Amino acid sequence: MKVLKKNPEKCIACHACEETCSKLYFKEENREKACLRIKETDSYPEITTCTQCGVCIDICPVVALSRDKRGIVRVEKKKCVGCFMCVGFCPEQAMFMHDDYIEPFKCVSCGQCVKVCPTGAIYMSEE
Amino acid sequence: MILKEYKYELGKIERGYNNRSLYINLSDNTIKEKEVTQFMKDKFIGGKGFGLWYLWNAVTPETKWNDPENEIVIAHGPIAGITQYPGSGKSLVVTLSPLTHMPMDSNVGGYFGPYLKFSGFDALELQGKAEKDVIIFIDGNKGIVQIMESDIEEKDSHLIAEILTERFAKDEEDKKNVSVVSTGSAADHTLVGLLNFSFYDIRRKAVRLKQAGRGGIGTVFRDKKIKALVVRFEGTKGNLNNAADQGKINRTGIKLHREICLLDDKQNRMRKIGTANIIEIMDQYDLLPTHNYKFGSHKDTYKISSDKFQARVTQGLPDGCWYGCSLSCAKAADDFIPQTGPYKGQKVIVDGPEYENAAGLGSNIGVFDRDGVLELNFYCDTYGVDTISFGTLTAFIMECYENGILDKEKTGGLELYFGNKEAALELLHQMARGEGFGKIAGLGIRRMKEIFIKEYGADPDFVNDIGMEQKGLEFSEYLCKESLAQQGGYGLTNKGPQHDEAWLIFMDMVNNQIPTFEDKAEALHYFPMFRTWFGLMGLCKLPWNDIVPENNKYTDEPAKIPEHVQNYVDLYNGITGKNIDKHELIRQSERVYNFQRIFNIRMGYGKRIHDKIPYRAMGPVTEEEYLSRQERYDKQLKELLGLDPENMTTQEKMAALRKYREEQYEKLTDAVYARRGWTKDGVPTIEKLKELGMDIPELIEVVKKHL
Amino acid sequence: MIMVNGREFPWEEGMTVKRLLELKQYTYPRITVKINGEIIREEEYDTRTINDGDNVQCLHLMAGG
Ligand code: SF4
Ligand code: SF4
Ligand code: SF4
Repeated sequence: MKVLKKNPEKCIACHACEETCSKLYFKEENREKACLRIKETDSYPEITTCTQCGVCIDICPVVALSRDKRGIVRVEKKKCVGCFMCVGFCPEQAMFMHDDYIEPFKCVSCGQCVKVCPTGAIYMSEE
Repeated sequence: MILKEYKYELGKIERGYNNRSLYINLSDNTIKEKEVTQFMKDKFIGGKGFGLWYLWNAVTPETKWNDPENEIVIAHGPIAGITQYPGSGKSLVVTLSPLTHMPMDSNVGGYFGPYLKFSGFDALELQGKAEKDVIIFIDGNKGIVQIMESDIEEKDSHLIAEILTERFAKDEEDKKNVSVVSTGSAADHTLVGLLNFSFYDIRRKAVRLKQAGRGGIGTVFRDKKIKALVVRFEGTKGNLNNAADQGKINRTGIKLHREICLLDDKQNRMRKIGTANIIEIMDQYDLLPTHNYKFGSHKDTYKISSDKFQARVTQGLPDGCWYGCSLSCAKAADDFIPQTGPYKGQKVIVDGPEYENAAGLGSNIGVFDRDGVLELNFYCDTYGVDTISFGTLTAFIMECYENGILDKEKTGGLELYFGNKEAALELLHQMARGEGFGKIAGLGIRRMKEIFIKEYGADPDFVNDIGMEQKGLEFSEYLCKESLAQQGGYGLTNKGPQHDEAWLIFMDMVNNQIPTFEDKAEALHYFPMFRTWFGLMGLCKLPWNDIVPENNKYTDEPAKIPEHVQNYVDLYNGITGKNIDKHELIRQSERVYNFQRIFNIRMGYGKRIHDKIPYRAMGPVTEEEYLSRQERYDKQLKELLGLDPENMTTQEKMAALRKYREEQYEKLTDAVYARRGWTKDGVPTIEKLKELGMDIPELIEVVKKHL
Repeated sequence: MIMVNGREFPWEEGMTVKRLLELKQYTYPRITVKINGEIIREEEYDTRTINDGDNVQCLHLMAGG
């Protein structure tokens, strides 16, 4: 399974990854709609990514979360009832909500963000 | 066979309201829509408020519970049906109770309420009586309501709910879109019948039941010859309420999900064991009702402690009674095999156990046997018997039995001493069959007292002291002898001694945070009003204070959980687009609370005399009780009354203590009435009604006669 | 003598918060302890001693029903 990994020491907080991600999925450059997050701190930036751990799968009351063939945890929007329990219970805080949508969204390990990262602060890894 | 079909336009919920309700009369099969007016929304908000208002208009002071004009109203509330905030799927059921002859209200989970809302209705009013058993079906996607003749042979809820879920769901996937309301065979023969609201558990692939337990609502349901109500709605989403500000609701919900995720394990472990978590705590603080509330603890409590139940609750995954409840107290024991009764030897699911059941079906009747509790719990639910009333009335019977008021002859052979699990189970089976002593037991404590006095020559003082009922309703399962405030929390209520208005035992007895009468009165004003609000909205009480923010203890009023109160204000404003604050929240409740009080008065009750409680709730009735806690009571005589217990007989000491405690209760009553804006007789004053904007002519007319 | 929840309670030499909770049989897991108004962190229950005359509050934040 390909998982998005991070290396905060290399991150320069250019936010290119976030913009690419939101553009890809929501056709709009909006960091609040990205499936990963970069947050400036006093030290290295904090990078929030999904580890594909699957904790959220058991939380969902309607079984709208499951692993696809690649092992990646996906949200089945049609089934989702928008309770956002998965958001609250994600240990990485990597399941997201935006006011414009009534379903949560998360990283699907597509790797597009990795391609635009100038420093290699995020990368795909086979787990 | 379909007796009547009605088609309606599908609607859209606007900011939490459909602005219409559904009315069904079973005597002539009328089905119609009614407008939910601005007046109703302003004064009664929704949920229980709507239920009480519809009932008020349906009945007269002479109406009896089994008259056709009595109604069962099921309503949710403006916030109900959101999926983001834990505990937002409750239905409120209101009817004239066969036990109290007054309006009863019960708060219940399951998917019926939300699906009724999504189908287009803010309330369902059921009036009249059918000739033969009927099933009422609401198809919330097609806009069809049907009354059909029932062809269901099965008599008990776990089967009825399963069969109807199967029948009305298109396929397995669709089962979660169906919810069934039903009761069981005992509702035909007793006055303590309950209603089971179902939801489909997609992981277990089984129908689960939640109970509208108190006050005999199931009995009324069967009296109307309703076999079941079924609603089907496909297409649940998180935004069907068309909230004014959905984002605000989402964020408020996520905040609480996070809090529960991080803190529940450290706090109440609701996700792991549900409300059963407090059994052993109640025992340690001498508050667990034992042997008909004689004592507050027992050496065998460890046999029914929460870890014993946890070991039996199979599915590791927490489950809620509506989507989005991350507190998930809805536990179940799978593959339970009853040892007695019609389902003996079959594998069944027992929903629960909740604390109340473990106490009522366990310690209070002396059954310190986990599987015994589970079996009683299973049969109570499926037969449609309120577990709390059953526990408390069986405890009463057992004490009467041990005191010679009853014997084997009178009970038809049942040896109903404390701890006799087999006899308790058989009593329950008799209730379901409408046979033997079970029929008498099923009348509830108030009527049993009359029978025991009149026919068995029981000492009236004694049975009135030990019969733990008030207003006709059996007490719920907390021992309140040492907490005056909780005595008020039970006694000074609208529907009877259920602790859902106020639970003040620790605040009062242990923490000593409300020492004066004024303090207690303030608590007995604020908490009942605050908790009433859940019933107006379609919310569950548990996520308010069974989880608290980490910094709660640093707030000015930790007992109120200020951050959560603000969450509720935000939810209401987020849904409706209004801008209330925490004070207006209390006023919303006060309007309905006072209305309910006046409704009681209109029915011939609701006065000071009806707020008295049996002495067993206040202090030691028997020498056995006094002596078991002698040190405590002697100390009180010395410190509070300046008496010298050394020179007194036990009888003298008991009499002195009793006089003192009864006076205290009277003083508390005075203080609480004053705080609530009522006269000394417990009647809301006209000034109070004016202040609340409830000076509606028909209310004034009722109170005027009593001022 | 100390005050515990507004009622007198005998003090003993070297009494820690933990010891007091044991003596009072306060077994409830969610108790906020205050000494003279100051909130004591749970980690300190073992070591924090109570002085004679202190005003102690052991607040059980118990939800109930
Ligand atoms: S969203 Fe969170 S819980 Fe779900 S797989 Fe990713 S990291 Fe795990
Ligand atoms: S928001 Fe959707 S995916 Fe997440 S737990 Fe709720 S229903 Fe499942
Ligand atoms: S806390 Fe329990 S009863 Fe309340 S809504 Fe959640 S699951 Fe239902």
